[in-house]
Amino acid sequence: MSTISYTKNISTDNFKKKGKKTLNYVKNHIPLYLMLIPGLLVIIVFNFVPYFGLLIAFEDYNIFAGNNPLDAILRSEWVGFANFQKLFTNSYFWKVFRNTIVINGLKILWLFPLPIISAILLNEIKNSAFRRISQTVIYMPYFFSWVIIFSIFSSILGTYGVVNTLIASLGFERISFFMEPGIFRGLLVFTEGWKTVGYNTVIFLASITAIDSTLYEAARIDGAGKLRQIWNITIPGILPTIILMLILNVGHILDSSFDQVLVFYNPIVYDVADIIQTYVYRMGIGQMNFSLSTALGLFNSVVAFILIVGSNALSKKLLNRSIW
Amino acid sequence: MSTVVVKEKKLKSKGMPVDLSEKVITVIAYIFVTLLTLIALLPCLHVISKAFSNGSAVISGKVYFWPVGIQLETISKVVTKTNLLRSIKNSLFVTVVGVTASMLTSILFAYPLSKTDLKGRKFFIVICIISMVFNGGMVPKYIVMKTLGLLDSYLALILPHALSIFNMLIIKNYFEGLPESTMESAAIDGANDVITLFKIVCPMALPVIATVSLLYAVSYWNIYFSAVLYIKSSSMKVLQVFLKDLISSALSVSDSLITDPNVYSHISPDGVVACATVLAIIPIVALYPFIQRYMIKGITIGSEKG
Repeated sequence: MSTISYTKNISTDNFKKKGKKTLNYVKNHIPLYLMLIPGLLVIIVFNFVPYFGLLIAFEDYNIFAGNNPLDAILRSEWVGFANFQKLFTNSYFWKVFRNTIVINGLKILWLFPLPIISAILLNEIKNSAFRRISQTVIYMPYFFSWVIIFSIFSSILGTYGVVNTLIASLGFERISFFMEPGIFRGLLVFTEGWKTVGYNTVIFLASITAIDSTLYEAARIDGAGKLRQIWNITIPGILPTIILMLILNVGHILDSSFDQVLVFYNPIVYDVADIIQTYVYRMGIGQMNFSLSTALGLFNSVVAFILIVGSNALSKKLLNRSIW
Repeated sequence: MSTVVVKEKKLKSKGMPVDLSEKVITVIAYIFVTLLTLIALLPCLHVISKAFSNGSAVISGKVYFWPVGIQLETISKVVTKTNLLRSIKNSLFVTVVGVTASMLTSILFAYPLSKTDLKGRKFFIVICIISMVFNGGMVPKYIVMKTLGLLDSYLALILPHALSIFNMLIIKNYFEGLPESTMESAAIDGANDVITLFKIVCPMALPVIATVSLLYAVSYWNIYFSAVLYIKSSSMKVLQVFLKDLISSALSVSDSLITDPNVYSHISPDGVVACATVLAIIPIVALYPFIQRYMIKGITIGSEKG
């Protein structure tokens, strides 16, 4: 009996001490906590308050129902899951859902291996001037906006651009690349590659240069050829980076490509190019169909959330490494 | 003795094919990287060439990677007769104010989080992660903006981007790697947290501050969708929106720039768009050497576990 009460005393004592310590710590470091305020305000106002706005997905939202648009959320009519029902029974929803996965899936399929190959090959180039120049050039497009990239490629692929001039001179008919449903997705993949392959190459290259160089020496002494060295040392060495990048890419399969598609597409290619977020935009902001659009946005956010958290769990399990 | 000789022979005989595969790979590497470099470079050269070529050469598709019939009429008309310059000024304003606000917010946020003994540190980090992985969506964000009266104000472009969690974590990780002894000695000298941050930590963290400033600058300069969504007055149009609108109205704009139809003009729709594009790229290209210098460091810092 007495020992139990004794330990109890100690634990509550400890707890009190701990609480006092925390309080003291906070008191002594008030400036540290004040520093967090601007950032916290940004997160709360522009990330957390919109979570409250997600209620619109379960309402027949009328923006004029209250004193202000936020107040209107509390005063609009509650409809439960009706918006989601409308959404999931609409065949166009499934089309944009499919487009989103197909476009981003194609991008991963075509563009994920490319920077790995180019990093390995760039690493084989011993002429440092050539190496530096090519590295500089290939990852500059990463910093161009999609509007600039659209401008550049519509200039090249336009009706009177170089490509069509060439096609016409060979006696074929000119192609409207941006209005051809059969070509448009390829165009999205290609321009995505143009923007990002160089940047991703640099990421993989950084990972390659981190590999212990004595491994290569040992392999050379053992008589391993270049190909063998790449296969047995380089690739295993950057495998964690490869897996991490792949997981990240798959995790973002639902919420990538929005800016690009928004800039590139037009009504003629909606069939193959309209993705969830562009549809949310046109339905919500364009047609002011706030509730349905928010329902679609919420669906997108939830699935994206599951994918990202899931892929992070996978990365933790496989690599013992968290994305954040 | 004899075994050693045998081993040496073996090594030599294996040495031949090793050399060959290395040579083949080197050749492939040069071809591949050259191709990649040209693919990145040529489209840019093409647009620059178009911007300075005469109209008939542009229209007939004779311009490749070097200007044909060099002229400056288009670029001078685009600068003086369209609203391009105004949109560049708007974008510059957004970028300068935005980078300042973002850096201040991010540094202030990163510093306390870099202190591993900060009470409640985990809580704040969880808040950051939640805001990163779950998106409130377009319409709710729009409604918040409207309620706050931020529509048609540059604050709508700056405030939501004032704290990029990714960028903040890069700064935080860098702060964590700084030698603790200097900060401790500052604390012993009686410097409080604010003074330590700005007088001691920030000067030591200049590389990461430069990197992240550039990252923010590029993202503010490239803002497109937020501006489409929140900015309505045409006098406040930012560069990317101006450029996008110009592309769709190139024909009528180029017609309006030709003042006298009886006098030969070098102006063509494609030339007009090319000029605006070149001017939009210039700031990025000008900042690029600095971006390059710090970026790789930034990428490696950022990819470390947060």
